[in-house]
Amino acid sequence: MPISRKDTHIAGEILQGTLDLLILRTLLPGRAHGHTIAEVIEHTSENALEIEQGSLYPALHRLEDRGLLASEWGVSENNRKAKFYWLTPKGRKQLTIETNRWKHMTRAIGLILGEAQ
Amino acid sequence: MNFRRFTQRSEKDARLADEIEAHLAHEVDANIARGLSPEEARRRARLKFGNPRVMRERVWEYRSLPWIEDAWRDFRFALRSLAKSPTFAIIAILVIAVGIGANTAVFSVINTVLLKPLRYPDPQSLVMLANTGPQGVFPAANVPKFNIWHQQTGIFDAVAGYDQAGAGLNLTGGNEPEQLEGVHVTADYFRLFGAPILAGRTFTAAEDSPNGGRVTVLSYGLWKRRFGGNPNIVGTNIQLDGQPYLVVGIIGRDFFTATPTDLWLPYQFNLNSRDMAHYFQVAARLKPGVTVPMANAELKLAADQFRNTYPGSMGPKAGFAVVPLQEIMVGDSRLSLLVLLGAVTFVLLIACANVANLLLIRATARQRELATRSALGAGRGHIIRQLLTESLAISLVGGLLGLIIGFVGVRLLLAISPGGIPRIGPHGSAVNLDGNVLLFTVAVSILTGIFFGLFPALSSSRVKLAVALKESSSQAGVGSRTGRVRSLLVISEVALALVLVVGAALLIRTFLKLQAVDPGFDTHNVLTMAMSISGERFQNTASVAQVVRDGTDRLKNIPGVETAAAACCLPLDGGFGLPFDIVGRPKTNDPNSGGAGYLPISWSYFDAFKVPILRGRSFTEQDDGSAPGVVIINQAMARKYWPTGDPLSDRLLIGANMGSVFAEPPRQIVGVVGDMRGDGLNRDPSPAMYIPIAQMPDKVTALNSRIAPLMWIVRSPVDPHPLAKPIAVALREASGGLPVAHVRTMDEIVVLNTSRQRFNMLLLVIFGASALFVAAIGIYGLMGYSVQQRTQELGIRMALGAQASTIRNMVIRQGMVLAAIGVAIGVGGALWLTHFLASFLFGVKALDPMAFIATLLLLSAVALVAVWIPARRATRVSPVAALRFE
Repeated sequence: MPISRKDTHIAGEILQGTLDLLILRTLLPGRAHGHTIAEVIEHTSENALEIEQGSLYPALHRLEDRGLLASEWGVSENNRKAKFYWLTPKGRKQLTIETNRWKHMTRAIGLILGEAQ
Repeated sequence: MNFRRFTQRSEKDARLADEIEAHLAHEVDANIARGLSPEEARRRARLKFGNPRVMRERVWEYRSLPWIEDAWRDFRFALRSLAKSPTFAIIAILVIAVGIGANTAVFSVINTVLLKPLRYPDPQSLVMLANTGPQGVFPAANVPKFNIWHQQTGIFDAVAGYDQAGAGLNLTGGNEPEQLEGVHVTADYFRLFGAPILAGRTFTAAEDSPNGGRVTVLSYGLWKRRFGGNPNIVGTNIQLDGQPYLVVGIIGRDFFTATPTDLWLPYQFNLNSRDMAHYFQVAARLKPGVTVPMANAELKLAADQFRNTYPGSMGPKAGFAVVPLQEIMVGDSRLSLLVLLGAVTFVLLIACANVANLLLIRATARQRELATRSALGAGRGHIIRQLLTESLAISLVGGLLGLIIGFVGVRLLLAISPGGIPRIGPHGSAVNLDGNVLLFTVAVSILTGIFFGLFPALSSSRVKLAVALKESSSQAGVGSRTGRVRSLLVISEVALALVLVVGAALLIRTFLKLQAVDPGFDTHNVLTMAMSISGERFQNTASVAQVVRDGTDRLKNIPGVETAAAACCLPLDGGFGLPFDIVGRPKTNDPNSGGAGYLPISWSYFDAFKVPILRGRSFTEQDDGSAPGVVIINQAMARKYWPTGDPLSDRLLIGANMGSVFAEPPRQIVGVVGDMRGDGLNRDPSPAMYIPIAQMPDKVTALNSRIAPLMWIVRSPVDPHPLAKPIAVALREASGGLPVAHVRTMDEIVVLNTSRQRFNMLLLVIFGASALFVAAIGIYGLMGYSVQQRTQELGIRMALGAQASTIRNMVIRQGMVLAAIGVAIGVGGALWLTHFLASFLFGVKALDPMAFIATLLLLSAVALVAVWIPARRATRVSPVAALRFE
């Protein structure tokens, strides 16, 4: 008998948007493979955003399917096979939009919380 | 996009696994660099990554289309479940396949004839110009009409006249002269139909005027066949009717013509002609934005103008109209095809009812399985979906098989078809499997599956859990709810079958009546053939008369030839008509009030066909151009115009008001002959005038020679087929080298004339018989099942002393009550539906009591047999075994 597939993770969905933004931002300087992306996110956030590294991959593949990323297999810095990702023009545009939206939102939240004027 | 993601996901998953592997390798490298042992490095890497399988599943799932997967799983499950009861599955699939196959076959013909657009550029704007009047709408033209239609530049982009290659044309100059189909066209013809030009050009306006020279355009077929596809033929001369004709162009292979065409010749009309005889047709292309009603409004004015220009040429109720070209081409085959479609739909409905019945039986037997599923948590929706999927599996597999059956079936259908179906190409080659047919079959398959599956699914998904699980599955007999539904299905099968069988009976009666019609002449042992006399040699009557005389003499000397004659035309094969006036009687206002068939014949014509001379005399060889004009009329004409007086004392003025071509002095009526049914065996004989070929006005001979070939008629005391060769040789010698073509016996022409009725009858008999058979199986199945379910009850009855005959009669009564109800409903339906057949009937009425009674008897007999077998089985129930049955 078929099983219902309505086990969606709502919390995950919200975080998903953030993770997408982080991946796009990480790839702004240039191409990188999955492991590098995970490390960069970890380190630049001063290890505050410690994600399960594996959860990066569904996000990467979805971004690629949406045409925001392109990818290619290549050889990594320590001579291993790895799949490299980079931003497409569409991805760059999306990054700008998402960044602005994020800034607006954090500013709005900041205002509500009564931080900076 | 979504779908591609879905179809490629297996491959993508493999790449993702590689990617995850690479990621872990990098993390292990990093960990080792931090100074961890390899095992620890690997452990931490895995820990940090999370479960790779979960990641892959998440990607996999987001790439999936849930409903397709569910449907696919259900479908596979359905196939497995059907495979468990192969007998049921095979029967159901076969029944459905036959039903769908018949529909596919008929639809593929309908698709070709009625649905596909004509193979011309922008075919919607192509129309035929037609005459309207009290007799109906007929597309035909003469030069004055062509002129006035040609002037309607407000509604037409192009107007072209063309004929149907009736006269034929002799290709000479080679070893073997050959009769060709040459179509006369006006210059605009090729532009109008968008003919692709392979080489050279088409006719110029100058070439299409009188004295425009001898030019021709070749068809692709003739060019390949006779001239080896040599492109250098353009610009050279070929010999037609002994004259050189300049080949100016070749038309491409894909050009479609309504009649077979070997080459085209310019019409070269004298546009000042005032001849009113119709001898060609005119097509036109509507200007963009002009609709048929708009064009018809314009043509109404044109008709008034025509009446003023040519007084007396057209009755007050007559007029002009345009008819879409496709409609003209399809003609009356539309109704015929729709009746066929109706018949096969009935067959499919009966097939559906039968399979629904089978499904109900199966569902009863599966009640426990369904209840178990239900107990395990399947909702009613799930069960319905599962059962419907099974029906769809049956109908889709049946549809696939039906496609094959349909493909074979349509070839059979066309093999027995009269050849009168338009647009299907030579031997039906234009009928093929295209997207429309595939779509139709798939749609019919799905609809069928839902149609026969929905009710069984709904009714058997309504399971009372506790009851079903506890009790045995054998409780549902004829009395239960599904039993009543099954009875209803059987009743409708009988009703539908009855309608089809009544239709078949009516067509059988029609065919028998047609066979019994006396054609008015002896059709046996007569060979006919056509000789084209279109050349310049035959522009006057004397030369044609000479060929007729010489030919007849030569033919008479062939051993085995009893009589030989020539004529303009053959009975049942078309002909001409002209108006006439009876000299001395006041003229009526309507110029066509005295119209009759106009049949130029040689003196031995009535002998050859054994037509009785009722009064006066037949023609003789002496009735030639130097003798006074004579005419012989048929009995129908004598009855209509001389109900009391004596026709032999009157003279006829033929073709008055038809223009100078037909002008001639009055003719003395010298004889009355028996009626020949020349317009069709199903038509009453109409008035006809016979005149000697040797006495035709020269201009009529010239016109006739361009329109129709000369027909030769040879009677032999035995089968005339072996005479064909010596006759052809004799006629070629007698005519100075003219070939003959279209060699047919008169019997063959008669068969062709009734072939459409034969075709309709044959198909409806096939459909009716299969419907009857399937309905009989339905009754048999229901009663057989009912007897089996009631074994226990019957056993108890027997044990209590019931007679075998009582039991048998009870079962028979129950079965026959169902059949009787079905018959009653069917008769009601047939009373209404048979009127659609009315135009196909001859000599019987749509409500013919004989056909209805015969059908009733046949159906009752079949039903009785179908009920008898289970009834006999019921009487053989052993009481002891029955009581132990459970």
